[in-house]
Parts: sequence; structure tokens; C-alpha cells
Amino acid sequence: MIRYAITRLALALPTIVIALFLIFALIRLIPGDPAQLILGETDDPAALARIRAELALDQPLAVQFYHWVTALGQGDFGKSISMESPVLDLLVPAMGVTASLVIPAVVLAAIMAVPLGMFAAWRQNTRTDTVVVALATVSLSIPSFWLGLMMLLLFGVQLDIFPVVGYISLTEDFTQGLHYLVLPVLTLALIEAGVLVRLARASTIEVLQLEYVAHARAKGLSESAVACRHVLPNVIGPTWIMIGLVLGGLLGGAVVIETVFSLPGLGRLMVEAVFARDYPVVQGCMVIVMLCYVGVNLMIELTAPVLCPALRYD
Amino acid sequence: MMQIPLTSDIRGTNPGVNRDANTDTIMMHVLEGLVGYREDGTPDLLLADALTVSPDGKRYTFHLREGLVFHNGQPVTSREVVWSWRRYLDPKTNWTCLADFDGTRGAKIESVDAIDPLTVSFTLDRPQPLFLTLMAAISCGGGAVLHPDSVAADGSWREPISTGPYRISSWVRGRYIDMTAFAGYRPLEGEPDGNVRGKTPYERHLRWLIIRDASSRLAALVKGQVDVMPEVPAAEMLQLRRMKDIRIVAAPMLGAYGILVQDRNPLLADLRLREAIAYSIDRRTLARLVTEDTADANPSIVASASPFGVSADTAEALFDPARARALLKAAGYRGQPIVLTTNRRYPAMFNQALLVQAMARQVGLNIKIEVLEWATQMDRWRSGDFQLLSFGFSAKADAAQSYESILGDRDASPGKTWGDPEARRLLAESMMTADMAERRKIFSKLHSEMLHDVPFIGLFSPADTNAIRDGVTGFRSWQFGRARFWGVRRNGTPAS
Repeated sequence: MIRYAITRLALALPTIVIALFLIFALIRLIPGDPAQLILGETDDPAALARIRAELALDQPLAVQFYHWVTALGQGDFGKSISMESPVLDLLVPAMGVTASLVIPAVVLAAIMAVPLGMFAAWRQNTRTDTVVVALATVSLSIPSFWLGLMMLLLFGVQLDIFPVVGYISLTEDFTQGLHYLVLPVLTLALIEAGVLVRLARASTIEVLQLEYVAHARAKGLSESAVACRHVLPNVIGPTWIMIGLVLGGLLGGAVVIETVFSLPGLGRLMVEAVFARDYPVVQGCMVIVMLCYVGVNLMIELTAPVLCPALRYD
Repeated sequence: MMQIPLTSDIRGTNPGVNRDANTDTIMMHVLEGLVGYREDGTPDLLLADALTVSPDGKRYTFHLREGLVFHNGQPVTSREVVWSWRRYLDPKTNWTCLADFDGTRGAKIESVDAIDPLTVSFTLDRPQPLFLTLMAAISCGGGAVLHPDSVAADGSWREPISTGPYRISSWVRGRYIDMTAFAGYRPLEGEPDGNVRGKTPYERHLRWLIIRDASSRLAALVKGQVDVMPEVPAAEMLQLRRMKDIRIVAAPMLGAYGILVQDRNPLLADLRLREAIAYSIDRRTLARLVTEDTADANPSIVASASPFGVSADTAEALFDPARARALLKAAGYRGQPIVLTTNRRYPAMFNQALLVQAMARQVGLNIKIEVLEWATQMDRWRSGDFQLLSFGFSAKADAAQSYESILGDRDASPGKTWGDPEARRLLAESMMTADMAERRKIFSKLHSEMLHDVPFIGLFSPADTNAIRDGVTGFRSWQFGRARFWGVRRNGTPAS
């Protein structure tokens, strides 16, 4: 396992280097000048040149890239153009908000989806199966912003159970923080559960058709024993990998949910930075997203064989 | 605590340095300069109680109000005024309005001197009748007088220590900005007027919540989580008008929406084609549809609410489809596509582009819409790389500033669409006189010239539209479209 982990880490390094170059280049390929955005409608070429010089935007791209990468190597993410504060000071709290939204949502989605998917597969082609598949399809099809707004209107405005907007960090006030997180977490969990239900159902159906399951049943094992001992471990493997992919993707920011519920997370920070052409913040966000993705995938790859014996470290 | 939604976080607190509309709104509650704007957009004294202008119009001497203190309790003297203005005039500060005072656009401030502890004088290199208007500009931080402790020993910005009715007590990026009423504030007496008089901070605490999504802002208003919703999008107006415990407060703004026309493009170099586009647009219908009946049609770049604006009725006469068709025929137009660039960040710019396209099609014009992201559109605007550009100019205190947005040296500033020498002469003339009648004549001529050359097709002047919950009193819309929360209170808030 250790050799496998080292190999995977070594393979991740070129990915990181290529990603760093792409991150730097892509944001600069988009037209739009951060200095002009600071000036707004003001048409003043001298001021524009002054601000560009101040932000070091007048230097050659290769020099800018060199400065960024060397600073990054020392843990310095630079300073935000639009918000005039160190990028790391913006990234850390935003990452905390996103993690407090995404991790519970993915865990909740998995807790709901895996048993439901297995149950539907067990009852394949019955009314129960149809209902579960239909619900999963609806969950996959509903736009997250719409579901978020409906949740706000129902639980926030009509029933007045949860606040409509705002955010309190869990470290600031745990109870209040939870109160503010319930609706966004539930919305995200419902949205993500759809794909996991479908996957768990499909994997279960596949496993149920294998001979060893028929053999287990023939031995006279109860259905629950067959499910827990023989089916679940083989279903968990692919679902676990999918959970990893979903988690990795969402840690990069659940932009829509963060916007609807006014959560100051990583996704919203990145979108606002893209609109403001705030290169250091976009680059910082992308680096964090990339590291999260690589890290989560590595963790999934290392743990999947433990959960599913059919998968091997090779 | 009164809660107010803000569409995005502020960019910074350094006056006029790294700013946008939201930043200006917030900072207006914190900062005060020697002059401010009255309700009608004209300048008036704020921290000063007397002003003398030398006969040659080059020396402005202000006498400061006695007993004023900064947020840190220190007295306001001419020393801080001099320090603040010298800092603004230092290119290292990156003050976005420097060009208005360093001779780039008009007069240059040659010196700022303290005559005595309460008297300060500004010496210009030439007369500048618009000097006070420029000093009060909200986007420049109103030329705020700051205490030197606002900056650190190394010259870097720390926090705004000024004299406004509120001070920022906490700013949690991406979440909220908290303000506390300044206990030592001494409002200028009188009825509330612009950002000058009657600025009593009744509410002890204000919290500006950053809520990007318009539907979420609306839900928060309906629930009562926020008390006021500034900048109501037109799409939400119908719904809001039906709600019982919410009322709409709107006033015309000093901004202008319209289409910039690039005559350096070979196709649009033909005046007849530009005129045809202008005659094909029914501005009244367009204004009604785009703004949900909150704004007037306006064919000028100067807002209708300005003393130099033109009547909304003149828009009616400029809608002439038959004439547009005749002009197209005379120009030999054969349906060549004309690209109208717009964006989705500002719904009004997008919607006006759609309606212009539809109306122009009625006379045979083939307009294609190109939707860009806002920063990309700004890039195109600056470089002049467009045929037609759907645009909205923010509120300008003076008509000359409005014309300056499109008129000038087109080689130095390719974003300008009008370089006619006679028009430039008239604009320069308008900046050299303070006589209202004379200026009215000049702007009338400029308007006629603009209609003739068609560098900009004015469509409407937007309105500052706000939704207020019942129980909130004292809130007024303003020509500058900036929400003001001094003088505002909720039921139950003590009178003083």
C-alpha cells in the first residue's frame, strides 16, 4: 500500500505542475483588464497605466508567472487586486465555509442514497423501484438554484423555521451556525443524492445477478445477511469512488448554492474574482481546488481497496 | 439593528482608490468632505461654513465649522484638510479622480494651504467653475477629510477616520459590514438634503448583508430579515407592487442608458445608417418595458432630472420608422449585419439591446446581438472595438461630465465615440462658465449636435428604485442612486 501511495503521489506532481501553468494562462486569456475595472467608467489612460504598474500587470507574462510560482512555493498566494488583502486571508475562511457546507451534504447524500439505491435494486421493477428511480431522476433534473429558492420560500419565508440569508460560522456560534447551514446542506444533499442513488441501484443490480449471491441465497441466508455480507461490500466500491469525485468537485465550490444562500464560500469567492479579473485570487482558488481534487482522489484510491476487497493496490 | 442587503462586497475603504458603486454607498456614510451634494445634485458646503472665491476664480478659501471632531475624537482643523488633499494629489495614492485636479482634465490644484487652524485655501492654475462639483463627487470619496491616523507609518492604508455619521465597526469579507452611529457627529441643521444636511444617524447600528442573488434579497425583505431593498431589479417590480407591507420609493437618477455608436466602423461611417437606427427606436415603449414604468424616455446623454436635461416628450418626435426606412434606402443598405454588444450583468443593458434589435428589425435593419461578460465588454468599450454597444452611464452631477463620457480626443481615448471639434469646443466652454442660462444654451446646442452626429443614442434615464418595509420612515431615493440611511428609522427607534 505504501509503495502504491508513493506512486500515486509521484504521478500527482506532474498534474500539479501542468495545472499551475494552465491556471495562470487561462485566466489571462479571458479579455478584460483588472485595472480598467478599478477605474470603472473613468477614461484616464495615465491612471490606467499607473494602476497597471502598481499591480505589476505591465510586466511580461513569463516574469509574472515566475514571481507567482516562486512566491507560491514559499506559501505566499499574493495580494488580491480587487479586495486589497492577502489572498490566503480570503481563501482560508472561504474554504472553511465551503467545507462546512459540502462535507455534511455529501455525507448526508450518501447516507440517504446508498440504502435507497440498494433497496430499489432489491425491489427491481416494482412500484417501489419506479418511485425511487423517479425521485432520483427528479433530483438529477432540478436546477440547484430553483430547489434552493423553493427551500428558502418554504422553510424560510412561509414556515419561518430557518433564516433566509446570512451565515454564522460554526466556530463563532455552533448552534446558530448549524441553524444557518441546515437549508443549504439539505438542498445540496438532495441534489447530489440523485446520482448516488442511481449508481448504488445499478451496482446492486449488477451484483445481485452474480452467481455467488444466488449461492448465498441457496445456502439459506436471510435477505438481510445477503445484503450486508455479500452485496454491500461490492456496491460500496464504485459508490465510494463516485462520492470522492462529487466531494472533490464540490470542495471547489458549490457556487450556485453559495450564491442563493449568501454563503461566503470558495465558489462564490472565485466567481466574484473572475468577474473582477482578480488574477491572484482566481489563481489561489484554483490552486486550492486542484489540491483538494488531487488530495480527495488520492484518499479515495487508497481507501477503496480497504472497503471493497475486489479492488487491489496495483 | 437595521439590516440592508448589498449586491456585492465593497472593494476597499480607501476613498476613491479601489471602488465601485457599492463601495461608494457604504463610504458615503463614513466620509465627509468640505462640500457635498444637495438633493438636486448641486454642491453645497458640508465641513465648511463659509467659502470665498477670489475675483479671478483661481483661489477657493474655506472656513471650517467649529467643534467638528473625527471618529477618533481628534478635532478637525485645516492641517488635516491640507494633509488629506496633498495625499489625494500624490500619484502614489492612486486616487481615481486625480485627473480632475492635476490639469489633465481641466484645472490643476497648484497648492493647498492652511491659513489658520480653521481656514484652508486651494489655489488653481486657472478658473474652474465646476471645482466644487468635482470636489463633492461621491465616486471620489467626496474629497473626504481624513485624520492622518487613517494611514500607517509606512503610508499604507489602515482605516477611514473621517467625520461621517457612521463609522465601520466590523467588516467580515463576503458576509457583512457593520456600522455604528458616530456619537460625536454634529449634523448640519435643516431638513435632510442630499448628503449635506439633516444627517442624523437615528439607527445606532446598521448591518449591510452581502446577498448577491436578487431572489434571495427579495425573500429576505419579505421575511423581514432586511428592512430595505435598494436597487430593485425591474423584474421584481410587479411582485413587489402587489405586496401589502412593502412600498416602493423611486426617483429619477442622473444616469443615462443608451447605445454607443462607433462611426469608425466602415458601415456605420454612413451618417444615414446611424440616423436610421436612431429613428427606428420607440424610446417611450422601450423605457416602459425595460424599467417597468419607473423611468422616462430620454434621447440625451444628460439625465432628464438634470437642470440641463431635455424633456421626455422630445423622445416622441425622434421615433420615425418611415424616415428610418427612407434613410436606409438612400444609404443603399442591403441587410448587412450590425453587431450590438451587450452583457447580462446589468439586466437593463441586456433588455434594451433586445428591444432595440426588435424595433430596428421593423424598419429593415439587421442587428445581431453579441452577449459578453461585463469585464470583456468594458475592454471592448475602452478600445473602441464595437459597432453598437449597449451601455449605461452612472449618475453624473454635471451635464459636462455626461458629455465628457463620449466626447473628446478619440485617438487618446478610443472608447469615446464623438470627436467633433465644434462639440469639443462647446464642451470646454460649458466648463468655463457657471452662468446657468449660458450653460443651458451650450448644452442645448450640444444636444442638437449629438442628435445630428449620432455618436450615442439616448434611450432612458434610470430611476433609483428601492423597496421599503412598512415601519421604516425617512428613507428617500436620490438622483445619485445611493441609498442613504442617516435620517432613517424603524418604528420604535428613539427620535434622538
